[in-house]
Amino acid sequence: MAYYLTVSTSIAIVLISVMGTHLLTGMNGMFSLGQAAFMGLGAYTASILVVTFGVPFPIAVVASILVTLVVAYFVGFATLRIRQDFFALALFGFGQAMIGLFTELVQLTGGAHGFTNIPRITTPTLAFVSLAVVIFIVWSIRRSHFGRDSLAIRGNDMAAKSSGIDIFKHRMVIFMISSAFAAYAGVLLAFYNRYIDSNSFGWMISVTWIIIVFFGGRDSLIGTLLGGVILLVLPEVLRFASEWRITLYCITILFIINVMPKGLFGSIKLPKFVKQLFTKKQQEAE
Amino acid sequence: MENNTMIKITNLSKTFGGLCAVQDFNGELDEKQIVGIIGPNGAGKTTILNTISGIYKPTTGTIMYKDRDIVGMKPCDINRLGIARTYQNINLFKEMTVIETIKTAYSWRATYNVLGAMFSLPRVHKFEKDIQERSMRWLERVGLEDHADQIAQSLPYGMQRRVEIARALATEPDVLLLDEPGAGINHSEIQDLVDLIKGLYEELELSIILIDHRMDVIMKLCNWIYVQDFGKSIAQGTPEQIQNDPIVIKAYLGEEDINA
Repeated sequence: MAYYLTVSTSIAIVLISVMGTHLLTGMNGMFSLGQAAFMGLGAYTASILVVTFGVPFPIAVVASILVTLVVAYFVGFATLRIRQDFFALALFGFGQAMIGLFTELVQLTGGAHGFTNIPRITTPTLAFVSLAVVIFIVWSIRRSHFGRDSLAIRGNDMAAKSSGIDIFKHRMVIFMISSAFAAYAGVLLAFYNRYIDSNSFGWMISVTWIIIVFFGGRDSLIGTLLGGVILLVLPEVLRFASEWRITLYCITILFIINVMPKGLFGSIKLPKFVKQLFTKKQQEAE
Repeated sequence: MENNTMIKITNLSKTFGGLCAVQDFNGELDEKQIVGIIGPNGAGKTTILNTISGIYKPTTGTIMYKDRDIVGMKPCDINRLGIARTYQNINLFKEMTVIETIKTAYSWRATYNVLGAMFSLPRVHKFEKDIQERSMRWLERVGLEDHADQIAQSLPYGMQRRVEIARALATEPDVLLLDEPGAGINHSEIQDLVDLIKGLYEELELSIILIDHRMDVIMKLCNWIYVQDFGKSIAQGTPEQIQNDPIVIKAYLGEEDINA
């Protein structure tokens, strides 16, 4: 039982940052290979504040999100105007530079040995409630003009510009929200695992999140969530396959993305989907 | 009452590498006037519109809008000042419904900020409801109310044009730039389009710059016409003057298939 609770709590935490990737990469088509670095930034900032400086946990949470927002603003300012493919590379560079920083600042971060002795403050309840709030926020953003602007810019940036949409400002807002989610997930992760090291925030993690978004369906919030649950549970399920695990995992992803280019759940919206289920049943009854 | 000048373009030039797309263009658009720019392909007509709407930065020259220099401003800011446009090769949003496409025009007028959006505050709902109604009215105005929930790009070409025009109108502009609205539209639809533009012009008191190479469209709509050829202005005048100008006839109207 404890095993399932641990796994599901970890998944809930990761899904918080995946929600950020859903905003940034799914809805806005911006491939950031450095989002996991923001997770690291949040995790390290909060851990250092709490463990080294004895700051209370809630204040450390707020502080680490603020630090991340400031960093994201400057990173965004430098990168959000350049072309999408260069943006991906620039963020890759930023992410790896951050890893370097985490590893080199030995006195603050514990360097390659990792940061230890973090108290366990994250409870499963906190993780799940946080995830629920984050899902609500993303759902709200999708329904607001920010959601519409995202699809407009992704669909035709030239037309978006001449309809009065400030693309740079829009991307900045989305990028900062996405980074804040990653940072918050990082805080929860650090105070759940009680240990962090710089290698758990590399570009591979960012790629995993992007894969989840495309696997589940970039246009579907519920698809991203279900895709995330499947892909995050899969490595656990595939444990029996030992060294074939990674291969099976990759084959599953490649299969889905090839057979269903819109993702496992396409653009399904849950309310609509439920409605369809009912109307179908009614028709059958008639 | 004398009409105000809406847009005043002085000595506008735009070069791409060695190619001079527009050279020393001077022109004016008065309030409640339809100005046409005609010329063969490659005459630099679209380039002029692109510099006005901020897509291109002119190499030299000034563009004054309501006595304010708009050169170097971002396209979105120019739109917010009241200049809307459509494109020759229709630019619609991929995979977006018609009504959503129109609503994007209202984004910058939103009465809520990010925090409001993040927590679905009541004012989000109120604003969205409001622009749903306003967007529907624009669709009714261009005759697309029955297609509101269809994907814009799945509509026939003529309707896509109307979606683009409705989106431009939804930004509630004072000046409308229409880049070849007649392109790709068949002869029977042209009259509807001319009527639509004329109706909007009279009803909304717009000032319009219209580019087209179909003489029937230009002659029916415009009060004043500029003729461009290879980036240079070769003539300007009323439709009657242009039709009888020997230089214009030689450069452009003289070709046999013009009125075809």
